[in-house]
Amino acid sequence: MKAPARPSFKARLRAVLRPPRTLSVTKTGRTYLVVTFGVGLGALNTGNNLLYLLLGLLLSMVVVSGVLSERCLRDLTVRRVGADAAFAREPFAYRWAVSRKAGHGFALTFSEDLSPLTGSGKLGHLPAGSEHIVRADLAAPHRGPVRLSGVRVTTTWPLGLFAKTRVFSLDGTLLVYPRRGYACKEPGPAQKGPRGEAGSPRHLDGTGDVAGLRELGANEDARRIHWLKSAAAGRLLKVEREREERRIWKLALEAGLTGDALERRCEEIAAQAHQLLDSGHEVGLQLPERVLRPAAGAFQERRILQALAWVGFEDADVDSREAA
Amino acid sequence: MKRPLRLRLILRDLAAAAAFGAMAVSGQLPLPVLGAFLGALVLALCGLRLVARHARLSALGLLVVAVLLGLQLTSGAMNAVVAACSFAGLIAAQRMLSTPDAAADGQTHLTSLLMVAGGAALSGDMTYALCLITFGVLASLSLALGVVEAAVPDGEPVPVRAVMRPLSAGVAFAVAGAVAFFVLFPRLNWAMVGPRSAPGLGASSAGYSNTVRLGGAGTIKGNPRVVLRATLTPDPGLDALDAYWVGRTYDTFDGMEWSNVVGAQQIERQITLRPASDTLIHQRVELLPAYGASTLIALEMPSRLGNARAHSPTGTRSSPVQLRGGGEVRFTVTAPSYTYEAYSLPPDAKAGLAPGLVQAERDQLLALPEHLDPRVSELAARVLQGEKEPLAAARKLASFLQKDYAYTLEQEGIPEDPLSDFLFVRKAGHCEHFATALTLLLRTQGIGARLATGFYGGARMDGGYLVRAGDAHAWTHVLVPGRGFVTVDATPPSNRTSQGSVYLEKLLALYEAVEARWRNSVVDYSFRDQFELASALVRPPRRPRDAPANEAPSRLPPPRAWATAAIVAFIVWRAARFVSRWTGRAPALAATRFLDRVDALLQKAHVPRFEHESLEDLTTRLAREGHPLVLALTPLTRRYLEARFGGRALREGEAEHLLATLRRALDAEAARRAVKPAGQAGPTARAS
Repeated sequence: MKAPARPSFKARLRAVLRPPRTLSVTKTGRTYLVVTFGVGLGALNTGNNLLYLLLGLLLSMVVVSGVLSERCLRDLTVRRVGADAAFAREPFAYRWAVSRKAGHGFALTFSEDLSPLTGSGKLGHLPAGSEHIVRADLAAPHRGPVRLSGVRVTTTWPLGLFAKTRVFSLDGTLLVYPRRGYACKEPGPAQKGPRGEAGSPRHLDGTGDVAGLRELGANEDARRIHWLKSAAAGRLLKVEREREERRIWKLALEAGLTGDALERRCEEIAAQAHQLLDSGHEVGLQLPERVLRPAAGAFQERRILQALAWVGFEDADVDSREAA
Repeated sequence: MKRPLRLRLILRDLAAAAAFGAMAVSGQLPLPVLGAFLGALVLALCGLRLVARHARLSALGLLVVAVLLGLQLTSGAMNAVVAACSFAGLIAAQRMLSTPDAAADGQTHLTSLLMVAGGAALSGDMTYALCLITFGVLASLSLALGVVEAAVPDGEPVPVRAVMRPLSAGVAFAVAGAVAFFVLFPRLNWAMVGPRSAPGLGASSAGYSNTVRLGGAGTIKGNPRVVLRATLTPDPGLDALDAYWVGRTYDTFDGMEWSNVVGAQQIERQITLRPASDTLIHQRVELLPAYGASTLIALEMPSRLGNARAHSPTGTRSSPVQLRGGGEVRFTVTAPSYTYEAYSLPPDAKAGLAPGLVQAERDQLLALPEHLDPRVSELAARVLQGEKEPLAAARKLASFLQKDYAYTLEQEGIPEDPLSDFLFVRKAGHCEHFATALTLLLRTQGIGARLATGFYGGARMDGGYLVRAGDAHAWTHVLVPGRGFVTVDATPPSNRTSQGSVYLEKLLALYEAVEARWRNSVVDYSFRDQFELASALVRPPRRPRDAPANEAPSRLPPPRAWATAAIVAFIVWRAARFVSRWTGRAPALAATRFLDRVDALLQKAHVPRFEHESLEDLTTRLAREGHPLVLALTPLTRRYLEARFGGRALREGEAEHLLATLRRALDAEAARRAVKPAGQAGPTARAS
């Protein structure tokens, strides 16, 4: 086992100074505190006992607010469910699973701590004993692995005067795929398949015996569905023959690209791959350090997106890769 | 936009109504403001947000109202606090009727809070406490529902019941905390300028004027409102006080009404009406807003009155008092309520003539109206049958009137000669008729007398006495040579006190009892009360009455002191435990810091180490080589690994101990290395 790297001074200072809960005053709370201060000043200045009574009530409400919000954040368990697919600069659905052992939780807001992900999920009421899934629409500013250190749970319960936050330490990595925009460039000629006057690429009939079945892709010719097998499988299956007239593209990411150029190229390749795979073709990917063999289907698109997401982040540790 | 929860809006509007009520109970808000707010409240509760589409128009209206209030303020027609509170109420009304968004909610709650604070400046009534608590509860519920509602996704119900339970407990805790804060927070200001009383919602009823006109119905006798509270020293200890509270006297009767010739005029902080005796009855009197006049009241016969303080909505100030004709003493400062002190002679004392009684007033004691019915004189002579002693004659006449005449508050029309009408026609009347008749009957026989007005009686309440508006009364002062004025009352005894409904009086007495406690415990709470509270906790228990005389009283504090000490000790213990747990937490990254220090020591001692070699690898290698540092490094490495990964944090001082051991081992190793070259100084052979 190797000794861990010494944390930076800033991180150590933050660890020392950071209390287990953070408290911020809301806009309503600021007004409340100003009025409380004014009432206190008036009570001290005039000696009016009714103002003392009012001041007592206002201060007690502050204490009650602290106690109730603390009870709200106590006995809470949070785990990440994660996202199906996260694309840069697009909202994506993200989920946390939250439960508590006792008591009730109210007005909880969930977000990722110290991460570039923006957005939050809200939960109005969390009773004890059952796990709730909180969904949020998050957005990531750029592609690549995003290191997650913890989940921030914030509540303004009970009066909305203060926002109390508790951070649950929970390491993880979220892989953000490149944004799939509109591909300005054509993917170039196919490596294999009919060329020239070959008719519509969506009506490609193979020849020969039936070689197998595969799931029908989006926008593929419905006339090639094997209805009997599809009914048995419960999903649409397409007949593949010995000699398929399938086109194969091999997209390439040029070496030496950095910065914005690299980002734009990744987004373009992601868009082209999505378009081609959506049409039922096979797509491969040539990266400077690895190659993805051509294949079709949604899984291939996921592999291409993952490969593109890691471009430029190859030096990330193995744990992060596995977590992603 | 999500549709707001109706229950939350209702709670918000009701909270605003409670806050407005805290101001309205003072009775100082203008009627248009009261009407506007109540109308807005009804519309808001019905869900009619009229201002939602006319926000600018309503804002313009508010601006106009602000200008009008400002004009009222600058012209002196309105108090600044009242103007501010009125405007806050109108803003709250406008916000309640506007689109119910987050901003409107916040502004409604804010103005409500300001209204509650304004109510504290305007009113000292007990109802303020009810309004305050109602506002606190309703506003808290509304705010909490708003917080949860904002977090609930669209389409899902707001868990109202789940919210109520913890919040109710929280609000109850807050109220208890407010009371604890109120009791315990040291009062730094001795000058109490808070409102002691508000004018109240009803009209004041004493109606002291310069004249007493016969013929009016005695409606005031049915009024149960309390006009006066008094604490007497020495305390007579009676449940119902049999005493006269005099306000002023009248010496001139013109056949219809009583008035005074001009009397002495004097303005002082304290007025002395007649010489004091050794035994005076001290009275601390509080005139309530229901009194509505500025004449000081004191027990018969008053000797000295003064030390008056006027309580107005803007604060409390000292008020000089002015002596006027008829022995009347008035406040020179106008206010809804007053407190003052008075000293009176005991009932059996010889009062003597008041020194301030001028000759003109003395001459009036025998004056008769010009057109007095001759039957009056004949009646007096017939009843007295030659009795010349003034007091005996007065008592004889009073007895005659009480026996042969009936008491009634009803009066049909105003007769031309009220006295003759009472004596010879109706033979029924109220206290003013009886007193007038006795006074004039005496004067016809050459006995000096005058009419006195004030109150009769007093109901016991919390060690003091309450006097109601219905206790207003009139009686006769008979001039007895050598004794001065002596009180003789011709009204039948059973009809002297208040004639109102018994149940209503009991209800009001209960309210007065609670309000008196409220005033004593809350409004007048001061540092002295806090000191007495603390003293009462530690004061030794009183000696039981049946205890033997030779038994020494206990000097130990009472059980309540021990209980309080136990509670305080428990709180301190819990706080100390919390603080110790807080400070005793394992510091963050303690194991990593410990490793850094070990690394620094090893590096400083130049212990050979491979690149990226961890501490445990180093220890394993040194153990394999039989290095002497292993003895110090092995337990240190094991504790580091336990602290870092095994969940067993380093105890306090343990890191220092391990590091000290390592430091000693490193020093020993350094010393060994320094000695070794000397021992190996000789030539060495190398195998080749």
